[in-house]
Amino acid sequence: MELAFVIEKFALVIVIFMISLGVAAYSTLAERKIAAFLQGRVGPHRAGWGGMFQPLADGAKMFFKEEIIPTQSNQFLFIAGPSLALLTALIGSAVIPWGQSLTFGDTVVQLQVADINVGILYIFGVVSLGVYGIMIGGWASNNKFSLMGAIRAASQNISYEIAMGLSIIALLMVTQSLSLKEIAAQQSGFINWNVWAQPLGFLIFIICAFAECNRTPFDLPESENELVGGYHTEYSGMKLGGFLFAEYINMFISSAVMATLYFGGYNFPFMNDLGLPQNIITLIGVLFLFAKIFFFIFFFMWVRWTVPRFRYDQLMNLGWKVLIPLGIANIVLTGIWIIVKDTYFK
Amino acid sequence: MNLFYFIAFLSIFFSLLVIFSKNPVYSVLYLIVTFFTLTIHYILLNAQFLAIVNFIVYMGAIMVLFLFVLMLLNLNEDSEPMKSNLIKVAGVVAGMCLLVTLVGSFRALGDSDPLILKNPEIGLVKNLGKVLFDEFLLPFEISSILLLSAMVGAVLLAKKDPKKI
Amino acid sequence: MDVIITISLLAILVLYLGLFKAAKALLPVTLVGLLVALGLTFNHWDLANNTKSIFSGMLLFNNFSVAFSALAIISTFLILMLSKDYFERISANVAEYYTIILFALTGIIIIASYHNLSMLFIGIEIMSVSLYILTGIKKRDYASNEAALKYFLMGAFSTGFLLFGITLLYGASGSFDLTEIRNYVASSEEISPIFYAGILLSIIGLCFKAGAAPFHFWTPDVYEGAPTLITAFMSTVVKTAVFAAFLRLFYISLSSVTLQEFWVPVLVVLASLSLLIGNITAVYQQHFKRMLAYSSISHVGYLLFALIALSSASDSAVFLYAAAYTIASIIAFAALMVVQKQVGNDSFDNFNGLGRKNPLLALTLTISMLSLAGIPLTAGFIGKFMMFTGALSTYHTALTVFAVLNAIVGVFYYLRVVVAMYFKDAERNELAVPVYFKIVLVVSTLATIIIGVYPGFIADLI
Repeated sequence: MELAFVIEKFALVIVIFMISLGVAAYSTLAERKIAAFLQGRVGPHRAGWGGMFQPLADGAKMFFKEEIIPTQSNQFLFIAGPSLALLTALIGSAVIPWGQSLTFGDTVVQLQVADINVGILYIFGVVSLGVYGIMIGGWASNNKFSLMGAIRAASQNISYEIAMGLSIIALLMVTQSLSLKEIAAQQSGFINWNVWAQPLGFLIFIICAFAECNRTPFDLPESENELVGGYHTEYSGMKLGGFLFAEYINMFISSAVMATLYFGGYNFPFMNDLGLPQNIITLIGVLFLFAKIFFFIFFFMWVRWTVPRFRYDQLMNLGWKVLIPLGIANIVLTGIWIIVKDTYFK
Repeated sequence: MNLFYFIAFLSIFFSLLVIFSKNPVYSVLYLIVTFFTLTIHYILLNAQFLAIVNFIVYMGAIMVLFLFVLMLLNLNEDSEPMKSNLIKVAGVVAGMCLLVTLVGSFRALGDSDPLILKNPEIGLVKNLGKVLFDEFLLPFEISSILLLSAMVGAVLLAKKDPKKI
Repeated sequence: MDVIITISLLAILVLYLGLFKAAKALLPVTLVGLLVALGLTFNHWDLANNTKSIFSGMLLFNNFSVAFSALAIISTFLILMLSKDYFERISANVAEYYTIILFALTGIIIIASYHNLSMLFIGIEIMSVSLYILTGIKKRDYASNEAALKYFLMGAFSTGFLLFGITLLYGASGSFDLTEIRNYVASSEEISPIFYAGILLSIIGLCFKAGAAPFHFWTPDVYEGAPTLITAFMSTVVKTAVFAAFLRLFYISLSSVTLQEFWVPVLVVLASLSLLIGNITAVYQQHFKRMLAYSSISHVGYLLFALIALSSASDSAVFLYAAAYTIASIIAFAALMVVQKQVGNDSFDNFNGLGRKNPLLALTLTISMLSLAGIPLTAGFIGKFMMFTGALSTYHTALTVFAVLNAIVGVFYYLRVVVAMYFKDAERNELAVPVYFKIVLVVSTLATIIIGVYPGFIADLI
């Protein structure tokens, strides 16, 4: 492998890693600000202008808190839990195409770490691993509330993964490709965005994304008025920080996936009619992608502070009796639509 | 080739840990790592689709359910019954017979003429789909009966009887 | 193929009937559907016997498959006739039981007609998964639960062996297709060593499913714990099907002389072990059902003779033996169900004096026992006779002598129940035998005698 290639990829990985952490950090501030806005309050405003430095203060606080490991717990797994949660949250970003390629003289830099031809399935796999951090952490705490949270997380994730998979299958029937890069490239402009072809699929996908990220209204693993703190009841300090960070990173990555799969990724309207150089288009595209991501993150928070949490049986009913049949119906409808389109609108 | 031996060593090492660890939860966690090494084997064989499906289905779904059940039962070292020595000896003898058979046949095989795949791209999604929906269409469709009967059975066994008997 | 489709659609239809609470219609619809499937099966009968495989070599529905499918469908038909009011006593979800039995039958037809190892695997899985469930349908009965779990664990394990064996066969020959494997064996100068390991593992997997010793240890517990009707299904239809699969694999793919030198000794050991363990332990049983379970192990031993003496006559030998064994077992299980339902216990003492009070039941049961023991003028004798002639024609004299000795032991424990019925007196009331049972008993007994007196009409079929 060439050195230049390694350096290029390494730099890209570092940049994406830093951006993910930065976005996650400022999501905490955004969450509090949006909550305050929706509830008619001011929110954090002491640290810096409008609370600009609040995430830094929170981070510093996390680091300096006492690290408590319960005596009856399983030491190794107790630490492994949040680490795994962070790891699985971060590795999802590897296959997301952050933009088209940048050209510097002879070298072409792809703004994607790895273009594997089963990209969607990779994302799906990483998502399905995400539950291990919570399960292991919850079990290792040796606390019945934590265990309850862990078990809820497991059953919830398994249930919603199926519906998510079904919605992805319908999407694949439209795109004919599993590579995220190709899917993003297909959605050039505005009219080609997959969300127009797959509105129902997108709805199922976003609901499942909420459930997989354990966000309200599906935050049963940590529902604080039933389970104290859910799976992270026993956690403190930076290990608790790991779990919280993982949640925000998950939100960021799943927003990026939704933007890429359904909302055109880095594509924006009239991108081919502006007559700008390719590099500029690429940079604007990256900005548009991030705009879409931020919109979805805002949407996540908006829902959190608007919709109350589901009861457990409602959650299961929604997953198994509503979303899965809808997902199957969506596949059938998509198939019919593809045949009709191929026969009559060629 | 070296990478293969390293990963193969890891697979065997972790699968041995699955057997030897006393705590069932540890066993399951080691099993997850074993499955991960198997995923890497698939990638080395250029079977990307199988690799990722192994990743999703085994690591992401089946093992989660395993862990889920173990956590619900809250099994640990104390609750595992000790096997009698006779059973242990019988198990070792039977296992060794299998090992001898397999090792013997593979050793006699030799590795002087490695098998060359006719189509190295066979593991990619498109090619796999073509084989599955052409040559192996019937087994693929018939497996729906397998899944359906398993599903009916699962519901049947799990559902509460309305009538007390 | 149309048979498979018919039966699986029938299963789904029955499921829907259950959904719409048409409990009365379940049994008639199932039986009519089975008759239709039987008719379709006979439709595949090919006098020229040169049927081509279909679906790129996945299935080969030749006369062999027609015979075994028909046998499976007829025995399922007879067993299901015994099921009137049977499932209702277990639970409210009757339709599902019929559905799962029909699914199991689908699997059985697949493994009677496969021509590709992937189909064999799927067929065996469909059959086994359905059986795991059927074993455990008595949810409140611990014996049934235990049997289901044991069967599931053992079955999954043995499927693993079978799959491993198939993989190694594939690894050596490069194909799942039976004909391709035969071509590989015929054309290669030196057969790869992993091919032999593959044969061994496939034998282990299939023997697990058939319940041959030393892979029999799940059989008694499972047969005893499962509901009697399901035991009847498992020990007759399923065993026959596994043997059909066994025979097909070995006859089409592995019948070359060099390979026979390898696997015949293995099967000889398995057959003698099955005979010995099955017969000796059956002698010591005090319960009729458990005795039948152990004796089924010995019957597997006799059936293995057909493989040991593999020739073109093997399929009719296995077919005749399996038919005789199946029909006789159905009578035995029908009698057992009658006794069990009204006495509640199936130890031999409960058969005392049955000869005087229920002459029909006692007579049919006696004929079935005679057939199982292999007394002349019954179907069982013809079956054993064909097995032994086959073995003698390939010079397995010691094995045949050993088997004859075992058959004599068999007579002893089979006649115990006859002795109890006719020669031991007991104060007892007449058992009520429902009409359906009577039909099954009479039909099966007639079949046993007809095959016994005039075997040619089914022996020359295949």
